[in-house]
Amino acid sequence: MSPRVLFRVLAAWATATIVTCVIVRRVFALEVDEAHPRAVVASVWSGGSLVGRAVLARAGDRDAVLDRALAGHADATLVYESVVGEGPVLLRPEVAFAASVVAGHDGLAVTLGGRTEYLTPDDLLARQAYDDGIRVPSIGLVTGLDVPLALAMLAERLGTTAPDIVDHARVRRVRVVRTVPGDPPSRVVTAESMTDGDVSGGVVAAARFLARGVDAQGRFRYLVDAPTNRTLPGYDWPRHAGATYFLAQAAGLSRDPEIAWAALRAASWLRDTGSLACGATRCMGTGSRVDLGSSALAVIAYVEIARTELDPSYALLVPALTAFLRAQQRPDGEFMHEYDRGKSAPVDVQLLYYSGEATLALSRAHALLGDPRDLDAASRGLAHLAGPAWSFFGSRYYFGEEHWTCQAMDDLWGRAPDVRALDFCLRWQAYGRALQYGAGDTPFDAEGAYGLGPFVTPRLTPAGSRCEAGVATLDAALTAGADPRELARLDRQMRRSLALLLRQQFRPGPRHLFADPAAVEGAIPGSEVDWQLRIDFAQHAGSAMVRWLVLREERKKIGASALQAVP
Amino acid sequence: MRSRRASLVFGSANLLTAVLVGLGVFGGLPARWAPVDVPAAALTALELAAAAGLLSGAAWAARVSRVACALALALGLLVVSVLAVTVSWLGGVYGPVGRGGAIILALVAALALPYLVALPVVQLLWLRSDRGT
Repeated sequence: MSPRVLFRVLAAWATATIVTCVIVRRVFALEVDEAHPRAVVASVWSGGSLVGRAVLARAGDRDAVLDRALAGHADATLVYESVVGEGPVLLRPEVAFAASVVAGHDGLAVTLGGRTEYLTPDDLLARQAYDDGIRVPSIGLVTGLDVPLALAMLAERLGTTAPDIVDHARVRRVRVVRTVPGDPPSRVVTAESMTDGDVSGGVVAAARFLARGVDAQGRFRYLVDAPTNRTLPGYDWPRHAGATYFLAQAAGLSRDPEIAWAALRAASWLRDTGSLACGATRCMGTGSRVDLGSSALAVIAYVEIARTELDPSYALLVPALTAFLRAQQRPDGEFMHEYDRGKSAPVDVQLLYYSGEATLALSRAHALLGDPRDLDAASRGLAHLAGPAWSFFGSRYYFGEEHWTCQAMDDLWGRAPDVRALDFCLRWQAYGRALQYGAGDTPFDAEGAYGLGPFVTPRLTPAGSRCEAGVATLDAALTAGADPRELARLDRQMRRSLALLLRQQFRPGPRHLFADPAAVEGAIPGSEVDWQLRIDFAQHAGSAMVRWLVLREERKKIGASALQAVP
Repeated sequence: MRSRRASLVFGSANLLTAVLVGLGVFGGLPARWAPVDVPAAALTALELAAAAGLLSGAAWAARVSRVACALALALGLLVVSVLAVTVSWLGGVYGPVGRGGAIILALVAALALPYLVALPVVQLLWLRSDRGT
């Protein structure tokens, strides 16, 4: 092949590829026209179940099916999903089908034998069919439509089989806009419009959600499926302690007796069932091998309960636990994260989060009880975390999810300031800022969330946990008199995340899709479409909100504006 | 007569391509799928053979290199086209891919272009000019 022919082939290839790309994009893009819906799918929901449906030409049109459903269910809600855009779907391969709908916004219109059925976003949300179709375990990615479930739902409605739909039906993607007649338009909280009242309302709602789930013994409903209000299996000691800590924070802030009582029940369960002998000290856990995180978070929870005077006697439990934490510390400041009770010896392994949690726990314990050994151990732990523990080629360009170190840094700032740790935390937040979504970066309500691409529904827990650490960093940076431009950037970053959490919090959320809306009121979901509610989702978001309010209050007390450094 | 130095350079490049394709597909991809695995295995084997031939100065090196380059170029053009069309499809479904998405996709394309498009083109031109001398 001569060079001329080769380059002609390459030019033809480039042209063909560009033209194909333009055509493909145009074919699959939706032309959304909210003013002129193509159809209105009217649904009647009761107790989280669909009890009546009709397709209307216009919202407000009467239909006998809807009238019967509304008359037959006292608690029924009529919901309109207006079809404002329509486009093709790739049915094969299944991964393309799974990626063909935008989670929470798109549904399917399927025509078979002259009959059209809609599988709307509400249908798919009620069955939790989004973000469950494509799994890449190596990078923890779960995204895309659950195609088998969606096809099964359609097959049931059309009275046919899933293969028949794939082989013979006309399947289209539909973009819908939901309206609930009679619902007043809700206020959209943004970074600019967010008030302290919004945040304190979010704290109390999240805490009340957790509090309602604490049983008489003090155990949380650890994982709840919001649409069905079922409690799912599983439990975790560190998360129990973390949720107890947040309840104590919220009780201290709100003085709400329901929250305070739940915090004390959860703490008593921790105290009465989780406390073990670990050599000459006490630790938290079950079995012969215990982890550091359970004890560290128990200390943090106990200190908060004592500090807020919900029950000062919890301070008495702290020294035995901090002795355990100190005994787990290596001479270089790092912690050994497990303890073998059978051998009465620490196990020098490192797991995610535990060193930061132990450092914060020791700092909090010192603030409450004043034991200088706790302060020394916390300072050495922080120096290690912000120094040798994050020192490798490329460490300036990559940071993990660890969000306790910067809380410890801020906690220690008044007693043992570590400038290097503050610098580490400011760099971590700057890295997060580069990954933070802005408005319009994705099709989701994602402004303030963190992620790497527009195709995966952003998770809310990383926004909450980074915000806990970010507000702590802002607090220390303000006190330290950091660069005002850096402070302004960090302040805006936190506002965007907090506003996102408040927008996504179930207050009350789409009540018609929940079997028991009151049970999940105030919860923070996993994402815009993942409505499994784990206790740490509310804890991280709620603790971040509490920190924000405390920071704002402290600034007001000293008469400083939000971004003004303390002289 | 082939330049010995050029043969060593292209042979090394073939070896590098074989390693990258082999590692990328068989080490990096989380699942096995014949439409990707079979061409990748064939390309890896051909690139290794071309590298061995060029580095050792074998008489058959040019013939094998041409086949390897042609296959690499064909697969490279296909991969880049498929990636570009996939991005267009995702852009159609999800709207603007945002800065993060654009950077990731550009990096993926940039990984394929040097080894599977630019290198085979240059090597084919070299092999052709070499045949003419």
